Amino acid sequence: MRLSKMIFAVAALMFVASPAVFAEEAYLNYKTYCMQCHGMHGKGDGVNVPAMNILPRDHSDNQYMMTRTNTQIYKAIKFGGPAVNKSVKMPAWGDTFTETELRELVGHIRTLCCEKELIRGVNFK
Amino acid sequence: MKRVLLISFLVAMISPALSSAGENGIEILNTRCAYCHNLKGPAPQTIRQLWKRDAPDLFYAGNKYRREWLVSWMQKPVRIRPAGVNYLRSINSTPTKLLNPKKGRKYDVLWGEVLKPLRHEPLTKAEAEAVADVLMTYRAHDDLVSGMMLDTNKKVTLDQGEVLIDKVYGCESCHQIEPGYGGYTGSELYTAGSRLQAAFMLSYIKRPKNWDPKIWMPNGHVKPADLQKIVNYLILLSKEDFDASK
Repeated sequence: MRLSKMIFAVAALMFVASPAVFAEEAYLNYKTYCMQCHGMHGKGDGVNVPAMNILPRDHSDNQYMMTRTNTQIYKAIKFGGPAVNKSVKMPAWGDTFTETELRELVGHIRTLCCEKELIRGVNFK
Repeated sequence: MKRVLLISFLVAMISPALSSAGENGIEILNTRCAYCHNLKGPAPQTIRQLWKRDAPDLFYAGNKYRREWLVSWMQKPVRIRPAGVNYLRSINSTPTKLLNPKKGRKYDVLWGEVLKPLRHEPLTKAEAEAVADVLMTYRAHDDLVSGMMLDTNKKVTLDQGEVLIDKVYGCESCHQIEPGYGGYTGSELYTAGSRLQAAFMLSYIKRPKNWDPKIWMPNGHVKPADLQKIVNYLILLSKEDFDASK
């Protein structure tokens, strides 16, 4: 009985802890690579903005981000802006991140903009 | 007989001087540089290690820098990356709503140490020469520069180079092509041609991750012909006198 409880507790802990670890990695990746243009809080207000003639996307802009699918965000990160008809100023990060990291980053960006919609169960594909 | 004696005397006088120069350089590196610079490798393998980096890695300095630039820079050190080596430490991203909305900033700004002149101990000419000699022997990445040859026939004008850097590959978002013109988080490009070896620039731009696995410079997938043009442009750009326009 005690053993089964232990196994259940470990399984539950893994279920709870893993997303938190992924979230931290995605947050660190965002802070390390995206923050220089998109800003620490994802508002498109990074330190390099004054040098840019095209402003980076404000990831907290709920209205706009609701119109983007997860696939489009994934493509923009992996293949760069031109892959989704956006500026070359958004470089391709496919060589920097692994597939898992890319997907986690999409998830992190959703937490910056569409948390209410995620709670409502909106499917961004 | 006299000639043999003279030669042996000269050899006896010169060889300790040469060896002591090398030893002196190693001693300076170990006692005064190793605290901040990574002299032995490898480069940071995780983001957490990356954020602990205080100064550029030097274990492949012989593959990267031009000796004459090293000697002159070590005597008069100046900042090369406007936001510092680790830009997370030098960015103020206080949410705008916490500031006066009328006077509040519109984007993240640099703050702290990077707004002051670089704090880096200057060396004397003799020390700089000795350290540069040792640094040029640190060639951990010979494999990455082998076969990297600059094609000087792929020449570009300054205007054509700027189009490549800004419009085609978007490098200017992070790098400055003249003082105050360009982004803050990358190293300045207007001194790159005098600072770096051509083979290093070719290899690094081609795939930065090969040199520094977690670095925040992305792989721009630069076409081979454009790669040659960009490096030729950077060399041309480094010959410009930016003080003349002040």
